[in-house]
Amino acid sequence: MKQQFPRLLVLVFGAFLLFQFFMPHEKSEWLYEYLLDWIIIIGIFALAIGIWSLIRVHVDKIKNKKIGWQYSYVTLAGLVGFIVFGFTIRNGAEWGWYFPFVLSVVGMFLMIIQAMASRAKVAMFAGLAGVFALTALLIGIFDKAFSFHFATSEGLQAYMFVHSFDFILIPIFATMFSLLAFFIASAAYRAFRARSIMATLLLLSAIIVMLRFNPYLEPVFGSYISQTSSWLMNVPNLAAQRAIVMGVGLGIVATGLKVILGIERKYMG
Amino acid sequence: MRSIITFVAVLSLCVGATALAQTDSVLVDSAGVTPVQPPPAPVTNLQAVDTDNDHGHSITLTWDLSVDDGKGQNNVLSYQIFRWFPSLMDQVDSLRGERSNARSTMRAFRSDIPRAEHALNELREDPGKLESIRFEVSIPADDSAFVLTTDYAITALQDTIAVMTARLPEIKDGLEPLQIRFEEALAQLPEAHNQYPNDGDWEYLGAVVAGNTSYENSGSKDFTAPDFFPDYTDLYYRVEAVSADTTLRSEAILVGPVHSSGQWFHTGKIPVLIFVLVFFVLTVLFVQVAKKGKELYVRPLAGIEAVDDAIGRATEMGRPILYVLGLGSADMVATIASFTILGRVAKKVAEYQTPIIVPCYDPIVMAVAQEVVKSSYLDAGRPDDYDEDAVHFVTNLQFAYVAAVNGTMLRELPATNIYMGKFFAESLLLAETGALAGSIQIAGTDEIAQIPFFIVACDYTLIGEELYAASAYLGREPILLGSLKAQDWAKAAIVIIAIVGMLTTAFGWPGFAEAFHVSG
Amino acid sequence: MKRTSLIVFAVVCLIFVLSWVLKAGTIDGDNAIQDAFLVTLASFLTLAIMSFMYKDNAYYKFAEHLFVGVSAAYWMCVGFWSTIVGNLVPRLSEGLSEAFGVPYLGGELDFGFLTLPYPLLYFIPIILGAFLLFRLVPKVGWLSRWPLAFIVGTFAGLNLVRYLRSDFMSQISSTFVPLLVDWHGFGHFFANFSLAADGQFVAMFSNLVIFLGVVCGLIYFFFSKEHTGLFGKASRVGIWILMITFGASFGYTVMGRISLLVGRLTFLFKDWLGIIS
Repeated sequence: MKQQFPRLLVLVFGAFLLFQFFMPHEKSEWLYEYLLDWIIIIGIFALAIGIWSLIRVHVDKIKNKKIGWQYSYVTLAGLVGFIVFGFTIRNGAEWGWYFPFVLSVVGMFLMIIQAMASRAKVAMFAGLAGVFALTALLIGIFDKAFSFHFATSEGLQAYMFVHSFDFILIPIFATMFSLLAFFIASAAYRAFRARSIMATLLLLSAIIVMLRFNPYLEPVFGSYISQTSSWLMNVPNLAAQRAIVMGVGLGIVATGLKVILGIERKYMG
Repeated sequence: MRSIITFVAVLSLCVGATALAQTDSVLVDSAGVTPVQPPPAPVTNLQAVDTDNDHGHSITLTWDLSVDDGKGQNNVLSYQIFRWFPSLMDQVDSLRGERSNARSTMRAFRSDIPRAEHALNELREDPGKLESIRFEVSIPADDSAFVLTTDYAITALQDTIAVMTARLPEIKDGLEPLQIRFEEALAQLPEAHNQYPNDGDWEYLGAVVAGNTSYENSGSKDFTAPDFFPDYTDLYYRVEAVSADTTLRSEAILVGPVHSSGQWFHTGKIPVLIFVLVFFVLTVLFVQVAKKGKELYVRPLAGIEAVDDAIGRATEMGRPILYVLGLGSADMVATIASFTILGRVAKKVAEYQTPIIVPCYDPIVMAVAQEVVKSSYLDAGRPDDYDEDAVHFVTNLQFAYVAAVNGTMLRELPATNIYMGKFFAESLLLAETGALAGSIQIAGTDEIAQIPFFIVACDYTLIGEELYAASAYLGREPILLGSLKAQDWAKAAIVIIAIVGMLTTAFGWPGFAEAFHVSG
Repeated sequence: MKRTSLIVFAVVCLIFVLSWVLKAGTIDGDNAIQDAFLVTLASFLTLAIMSFMYKDNAYYKFAEHLFVGVSAAYWMCVGFWSTIVGNLVPRLSEGLSEAFGVPYLGGELDFGFLTLPYPLLYFIPIILGAFLLFRLVPKVGWLSRWPLAFIVGTFAGLNLVRYLRSDFMSQISSTFVPLLVDWHGFGHFFANFSLAADGQFVAMFSNLVIFLGVVCGLIYFFFSKEHTGLFGKASRVGIWILMITFGASFGYTVMGRISLLVGRLTFLFKDWLGIIS
């Protein structure tokens, strides 16, 4: 049961999806659409496992005072704070006690973490967690301007959720992405130092393509550089991409068959 | 395919219209009086069949051109297509509309009522908030001098809430009978179509420009969609050839009854099926050969041979190994290949008692990787050394993941970084940071655009298919080597096909190339 | 913490507050304070990440850890609201749909011989998902292999054929390029010989390169035959063509990456500091 049933699942669903490709009938189409839906739903459960793993790792870091353990609090606070933003919504134009509420929830969570990670003073941290929980509860009850809209799909339109996304996630994301400009420069430098035929070929074609729009070279070389660069992109590039794509395609078919037939099963441990 | 047909139809309609505009001026004689023309001749050999290789819900009409299309009187501008609809169809459409209206109203009310109540409470507490409440108060449309006051707003909000609250249960209760009536009407559609030509009417479907001899009438399989097209129902069509003067049209040619239905096999995909079958046979064959003990040669791959040395180096230095599975999900072939390599690395690592760090991007990949590493430790006879947190989830936002992995590289200072799997723009950030930190780096990916970055910044790179092949190298299991052999045979076949294809193309015989065309 | 670090930290905090206050003064509207805070925060996070180019430091670590926590939470919220509430709940139960304010999409899948109502169909992924959670319980952890097997199996079948159609078959047929382009005999060829990009020679040469490139590239990917002799030479040509391609692709990407950096600098100088408009 432990080994055989998963293999049977792989065989049945793999073979079904394989043959489904050749069956345009709507019944097979419906089934196909359901299976894809199922996978998305299972994925959400997997995300819960992931979040649990994230919390575990950071609690462990704090507990054992591993390198950079202080920053684990930042991750955990960001996690909880943002989840609160995503699940609550302020309808009024004024903020009232919303932020103290969010802070108490985050505080409560961090105290629970601290209680889990500490070897001493566990009771104190647990008590503090209780105090924060009580504060959050009291604000929830007495702050009339604040209301929970837990159970509506409006959660994702909450002001703080949207704005935190725009002003925390997006800037960091875009900046990390833009760091590529620096990294590509250092990578190019690394390529310059390489001394083999392969690396030289790579470098030469990279330089030709990089210089294709350079206005300063125009008087010297005319349009030769830009023409060579487009030839490189359209001819050898096309050929090599095709060779790789065909190889990869064969690899995908082979791996797919191996998985369905149960030859390749390393992914099941 | 349909979009191409539409495009061609529209294009030719434009061309046809321009051409006809010119012809028109010729037809008018010098006195400015248009001579009376006979109508164009009708189409011939009109046929209606179920569209092939589809999921049903589609009929294809074909015909031979009218004798006046392009020759004869040359006055056919287009062919107009009509379908006979029973009057029940209108009822189905209106019930469907009512049903979806009721649903959307219910949804709107459910979110509007609490919002209106909230706005009302705010106004009652503080009348000054009139400008800032988040609910639109309905004001009289015909009164331009109207000024919104708090009192008016409160009354209007109360009324709105009362109306919505009263109507919500009505709509909700009405929904079920509506649904039943809708489904009953749907069920009667085939019967109603049988009554042709009684109790129904012809409806215009569309037109194709002169010169075309086919038309596809298709719709949705979803009965709740407005363009629902019933299967297994008697359908009747009519085609008329029409001249520029739309009153001048040919006799209508009728066809029917015809049924649409889905097919269980797509004949256009036969080349793919043949390929899969041949490949399957080859794989099974070579696996059998390999199982019998025949030694199969495998070309050495530098990247894979470096893995063992890299693990040894990490052990000597007393530093961990970082294994990155990439951004792919657990179903991608690159990730599956990476699991196999991870299994091998984890086993060596367990033997040498070197720590391994596997930060994951996808939670399912994490779950699988945990299984893989755990069982490798078990295989190495050291299940107790397995650390649950060695394989951990980071986050599934691309650059957040990179930021965290980069941090790990600089703080944990792994001796070796292994990147195997699917990588995107982050490849260079990871590989460069690792190179700057002085780690030995081995990479492998099938993402063509990222391979150059790995080549530049890593010590060894597995290109495309080499990554998949790596699992066979590491395992050295006959069955895996057998499938590698099958892949090589397929490649040889492609090379031969490419040569033959090129030669046949050079000699102007396109049939061979067309055999590789896959439709649908 | 060292003294200099403390001083730097204090200065950073001071600049942050100062920027917040000054920025709030330039924004109109109800949420000026929040918006000014967010713009300043966004700028400081941008700078913190950029400081990584100098070296790993406390500010980068802060931004990195915040980024990880917030992004994980973001996916969780999106997953919950759009997948569970948006996709699953409407098919699962009328009561739950009402509670979440989403329209109930009841129905069934009719196979003729078997009719499956939606709630039943959608309970299966929930059960499989729950099995995934069993990983956390060592005794029944093996059950979590079932959903994994389901996912991998489904996609193995899915990828296998769909990839063949979209990429593979079409790539084979498009390799059938004519080696002779516009051929009217050798006399015509040499009489009109030119190296122009649109000339006959370049067109024929390009087709030859494409054809040889594909063949040699494929030969490079042969694993079960020794790369010696003619075969080895072809494989060598194959890897050269691959390298030229990787170089071209590298060069092509460089420009795009630099424009990303320009975009980020624009945010700092325009949205935050207001130096450029």
